[in-house]
Amino acid sequence: VLAALYARPSEWQHGYILAQQTGLKSGTLYPILIRLADRGLVEACWQEEPAPGRPRRHLYRLTAEGLASAAAAAEASSASVKERPGASPRRGRGVAAPAVP
Amino acid sequence: MSWLGPVAAAAGRGALRLMPAARRDWAEAIWAEAQEVPPGWPRLAWRAGGAVLIAKEGQMARRIGILVLGAAAAGAAAWAAWPESSVPISHGAADQGDVIITLTLLACLPLLTRWLLGPPDSRAARWLRAGCCAAILAIMPAKAVTDMFVGAVPRGGIDLRTYDVGNSNGGLPVPGSVSGGPTWGGEIIILFITACYLAVILALTARRASVTPATLAVSARAGLVLGLVMYAVDPLGGQKIATDPWLHGSATDPLVALAWVLLFSAPFAAGALAGKRCHVPDDPGQASAARAWQGFAAGLVSNGVGALTVTVLGIGTTALMLESALVRGWLYHGQHLTASAVYGRELNASGAVAFYALICVVFPIIGLVMGLIGSGCANVTSPRPATGEPTALRGG
Repeated sequence: VLAALYARPSEWQHGYILAQQTGLKSGTLYPILIRLADRGLVEACWQEEPAPGRPRRHLYRLTAEGLASAAAAAEASSASVKERPGASPRRGRGVAAPAVP
Repeated sequence: MSWLGPVAAAAGRGALRLMPAARRDWAEAIWAEAQEVPPGWPRLAWRAGGAVLIAKEGQMARRIGILVLGAAAAGAAAWAAWPESSVPISHGAADQGDVIITLTLLACLPLLTRWLLGPPDSRAARWLRAGCCAAILAIMPAKAVTDMFVGAVPRGGIDLRTYDVGNSNGGLPVPGSVSGGPTWGGEIIILFITACYLAVILALTARRASVTPATLAVSARAGLVLGLVMYAVDPLGGQKIATDPWLHGSATDPLVALAWVLLFSAPFAAGALAGKRCHVPDDPGQASAARAWQGFAAGLVSNGVGALTVTVLGIGTTALMLESALVRGWLYHGQHLTASAVYGRELNASGAVAFYALICVVFPIIGLVMGLIGSGCANVTSPRPATGEPTALRGG
């Protein structure tokens, strides 16, 4: 999730798009977003001007602290891949591939 | 399938209220985002994820567990307190009324308080509420046992002769019958006291009451100590009969002296500590008012918990004494009482249950006065907060 947000750090992103990017279901994605927001890594806000006939959407983006953490995580991940050229990075639920901005 | 989406949406909107206020935005976000998901199964799956979030973040398992536990405890207490079919209609009606009204109070007052003053927001508040509700539930069957014992005329033998001696002015009752009628005035007073206790505890532990968790914890502990000492002094109501191994019947027993000291000092100390520990505004007037409120609450909770503790334990012991020879032997250990004396004491103990109603009224009044005095002392001795220090009213 961090990597997906880090891919477009200045843009506010929607939950559904993040779910598509990460392949996570809503019941998994949102608890992760909540924990990231609790730790001050992600900021959230409501859309100010919703599309006509649609409810306001909740938007997310990384905070400055989140950006630093995501950059550090991406760096550490790429370093570990370099150290083990034959090994592919382990992926699991909620762990996206490291994104390079 | 077409009806499933709107139904799921409506259910989800209703379920949002189950979430804590701080998390409600997130559940709303999932529901709003569902509009962007293609209709059909994908949208339904998205909303199912929202339901999982509500269940997890709203701590549904804990809530359902508490609800089931509360309902089971209430059912057990009602079953134990419900009068048997052999009980005359007048007595039965009083006992049934007791059970129905008490359970209604326990079911409705928490909802009303939540609506008016908000939910409890600390562990101390939740424990205090649970303890108060458990005490009220425990009193219900114990009181039913003592009430029936007082009214029941023994079937014969020494018990009947003892009963006749004690009730000689009322004519000779029929053995095995139930004498007199229920004291409706007394029942109403007891229900009123129960309602007041529940309402006050619920109100003081609600979020908007702004009583700090530290105040609740300190005063509840002080109240428990007071209640246990009072119970040790008077395990069977206001009787002055010796009940080994507790009290030896002496008015100057150190335990009696300790009970009197605690009655006044426990709420005083709780009030002083609560006043000292709470964060107060810079303005001296507001600081005094904030400390006074914490002291008032501490005194009330301290002696209220004390009164409730001694009442539960006292009425419970009396009821157990009536039902169990083992408890009778434990209470009057080594006294070698005659059957008549044992029955007389049982009758006295059952009649003395009203003593606890008096305790439940007087103790909190003493408590709130002493708590206010204690907080006043804290006001005098506490240093003024330095500039820039947090000035929130909620502390602990």
